[in-house]
Amino acid sequence: MSQVFHDIEKKIILSLRENPKQSPETLEKSTQLSPDQVRRGIEWLKLKDLANVHESKSIIVSLGKNGIESFQKGLPERRLLDLLKGGPRKLSDLQKDLGSVFGTSIGLARKNNWIETSSENILIKNLPLEIPGEKTLNQIGERKLPKDEIDNDDLFSLLKRPDFIVEDIVKTKEITLTDSARSIVISDSSGEIDVEAKVPDVFVARTHPLKDTIDEIREIFVTLGFSEIIGNMTQSSFWNFDALFTPQDHPARELQDTFYLDGISAKKIATPEQIRKVADSHNKNWRYHWDINEARKMVLRTHTTCITIKHLAENTPDESRVFSLGRVFRNEKVSYKHLVEFNQIEGVVVGKDANLRNLMGIQREFYKRIGITKIKFWPTFFPYTEPSLQTMVYNERLEKWIELFGMGIFRPEVTKPLGITTPVLAWGGGIERIAMLKYGLDDVREFYNNNLNWLRSATKCQ
Amino acid sequence: MPVVELSYTRLQKLVGKVTKKQISDSLPFLGLDIESEDKDLVRVEYSPNRPDYSTDFGIALGLQGLLDIKTGAVKLKIKKSDRYQIFVKSGVSKIRPCVTGIVARNGVIDTKILEQIIQMQEDIHMGIGRKRTKSSIGIHDLDKISFPLTYTTTSRNTKFTPLKFDKEITISEILEQSDVGRNYGYILGNFSKVPIITDSGNNIISLPPIINAAITTVTTKTKNLFVEVTGINKNDAENTLSVVATILESAGFDLESVKISGAKNSPPKLAQKKISVSASLINQILGLNLSTSKICSSLKKSRLDAISKGNRIICTIPAYRFDIFGPMDLVEEAALGYGIQNLEPILTPSQTIGQINPVSLQLKSLNQIMIGLGYLEALNSSLTSKYVLYDMTNRNTAKIISVLDSKSQEHTILRDSILPGLLENLSRNIHESYPQKLFETGTVFTIDDPISEKINFSSISAHKDANFTEIKSILQSALKTGFKITIETKTSSHPTFEAGHCASVISNGKSIGVIGKINSKIVENYKIRMPVVGFEISLSESIL
Repeated sequence: MSQVFHDIEKKIILSLRENPKQSPETLEKSTQLSPDQVRRGIEWLKLKDLANVHESKSIIVSLGKNGIESFQKGLPERRLLDLLKGGPRKLSDLQKDLGSVFGTSIGLARKNNWIETSSENILIKNLPLEIPGEKTLNQIGERKLPKDEIDNDDLFSLLKRPDFIVEDIVKTKEITLTDSARSIVISDSSGEIDVEAKVPDVFVARTHPLKDTIDEIREIFVTLGFSEIIGNMTQSSFWNFDALFTPQDHPARELQDTFYLDGISAKKIATPEQIRKVADSHNKNWRYHWDINEARKMVLRTHTTCITIKHLAENTPDESRVFSLGRVFRNEKVSYKHLVEFNQIEGVVVGKDANLRNLMGIQREFYKRIGITKIKFWPTFFPYTEPSLQTMVYNERLEKWIELFGMGIFRPEVTKPLGITTPVLAWGGGIERIAMLKYGLDDVREFYNNNLNWLRSATKCQ
Repeated sequence: MPVVELSYTRLQKLVGKVTKKQISDSLPFLGLDIESEDKDLVRVEYSPNRPDYSTDFGIALGLQGLLDIKTGAVKLKIKKSDRYQIFVKSGVSKIRPCVTGIVARNGVIDTKILEQIIQMQEDIHMGIGRKRTKSSIGIHDLDKISFPLTYTTTSRNTKFTPLKFDKEITISEILEQSDVGRNYGYILGNFSKVPIITDSGNNIISLPPIINAAITTVTTKTKNLFVEVTGINKNDAENTLSVVATILESAGFDLESVKISGAKNSPPKLAQKKISVSASLINQILGLNLSTSKICSSLKKSRLDAISKGNRIICTIPAYRFDIFGPMDLVEEAALGYGIQNLEPILTPSQTIGQINPVSLQLKSLNQIMIGLGYLEALNSSLTSKYVLYDMTNRNTAKIISVLDSKSQEHTILRDSILPGLLENLSRNIHESYPQKLFETGTVFTIDDPISEKINFSSISAHKDANFTEIKSILQSALKTGFKITIETKTSSHPTFEAGHCASVISNGKSIGVIGKINSKIVENYKIRMPVVGFEISLSESIL
């Protein structure tokens, strides 16, 4: 096996073949590479499984202040013995010559029975062959040493003395070659590069992943013959609720579910005829007093249905397929499954042959195109459609059925007052939920966090 | 949506010969969403427009139909009786004018049934009762009451022992001290008097819509019930009563009528109504071609009565199905009885040609251009906070559009600018690698009889060499390449931008936005350690 290597890698491999265990520091010396080059080279070889890095901790022993002094002048007791070699000395003379180490030296020599006192004088009793610690002191004095390379009994006598020995914990790295690196053939040819090497990522500028899903959905409905209509996010309660037969005391209209704009009401909400007919429908069917001031209150639309119903009321087409796509708002506590603001798609089909099975067929086709084939329909309730259904889709990852789009046929109580005489199929639902399935997200907030790490890494085509 | 907890074994007893699986498969086709299951227990969510589904008795009626065990309308068998009477005094007219009621005898109340009844009462209060304002229910032990009753008013100083209390307290105290008093006391308004129901011994048995008296408390020893419903109109009160009566009858009680008179009140009718629908409407809406007899049997499976007369289907609808307004509701009932799972979806070719909205097309083009320039698209909420939108960027707060009672502190006002959100995005990504280049297009809001919505485009670039020239090049090139629009920049000032590094963006002699280097204090506010340049322009006034 032959492989192209960087010069740095070559030098490190060759050096390790000669001297199989080395620290990065010794490699710097043996290869003449800079510390950074050695570091990078080791990293590359490690990634290619050609080098092992064994990290270990060891205790390095060196001399402290008093140790250094003793290394230079001799241990206190050695200095005492040297003074006495010339014959007995007076205590006061010794004190003058030995200075600060006088007490220590006399104490140690007495304890070891090396000296004795005769009248005023100190004289040698037994001259020792070697003084404990002296060998180690000289070893460490030359250079710092790992603790395990030293005679520990001898070291022990020094450790007891204040400021003699300093112990440091040092991390060391030992680099060795793997088996394959020992046998690998290093190509000599220059100018070649390692085309198999790993390279860094660059960040791709891209549309927001949620926008990709929105665009995909938009395109699917356009190809199914639907035209896109747009409208305002701020709407009068009239179009958001009243025109959709939602009674004015309906819980969905309460402050705790819907965002009302503080102190803002619309002067013109609809044509006098539309207002009168909607009022009549409410008064007659819900048996209460419909209040126009309630209908004037501006809200953040709770669904895009207000855009489609307004469009139908203005155009009263006999045949039409339109959809609206955009932000809607609910006064909810933000959590991993709820946002106060999210995107919704809402579509309608007007036509004489618009029927429930067609509505279900459009849904099935849509889901098929976004890759969902396991679906079923269940009945449900919406105030403005009858009959009403919801789609359940099976999610393989979560292993459960998830509720997606709602649908139904606009109630005559909705369409008649607005002058719409043919059946209107309507369907719609949240887009984030589909995008969550697509991107495998469990927290819907991720779409609006603008977390660059996620935006830069989410796969565009799922 | 309200949730009701059911037991499969209880449902099996109530429905008849069915397996647990048949029940769990059928629940969704009654419009009941299974929330969770735990061995014998299943929790289902039901729509508040079907209060009969607040108990297993009501759900069992639906299942019997769907599973073809018992079909057709449930008929209330109410024995006429003169023993029970309520007299209504005119004092209640202004406060809570209507009362209605029924007697249910010879039942067995075990803890399960008691739970179901209490659950039904609570759900109805919240749903069709509109938190007890429209109608509220009181259920009493019949044997503790001596008839006739009087629905009248009394002063707030009147004392009686309310449910779950052990001594007499005044009505004012009830309204202050009990949970229900505090939650619903407002319904009684500021009237000095409050409505009460008293028995012939002048004992208070109920303070509608707040609480019953302790003396008539229903327990598992109770055999006979008296139900009263009060409300602001007769229709709603009787609708509510019809649900309770139907459920109690299903629970095995014998119903007896209550006479009601005075102050425009009269006995409840609880009558069935007849609505007819043409078979062709049903077939047209469902996309089917069913015979009239198949339609009739489907409607019966939805627990309605139906007979055909030529092409017309005449339906008899029990009183508790007041969610049925007209023929279109019967179409749905027929579909449910037929079985939604039996409707095969079809795809008919579209007669219309689809088109993307021109605004979306323009925005998509702009998107492509910004991506070509190396900018990443961000998305922020339109609903943001004063902190992000104004405080952090030093902007004037004169014309804030706020929403009422937001549950989220971070979402209280509508944005009039996109740039502050992008700056906030940078501040949340200071640990990510630079350069960071973002853009966003989106709606901004300003007050204008009542509100004007326009689409803005903003972009920012943050890295160690970010400068005015760079960002002006980006805007200039994006608009020129994308839309053949040329721009000029005129020295200007803006609180968000650094003095001397800020300009108005001029197109066709009109200012369409602002561009420059973000004020270093603001950058510091956001803890961003790189220079930031950016712009925001109105697309509604340039390319849209």
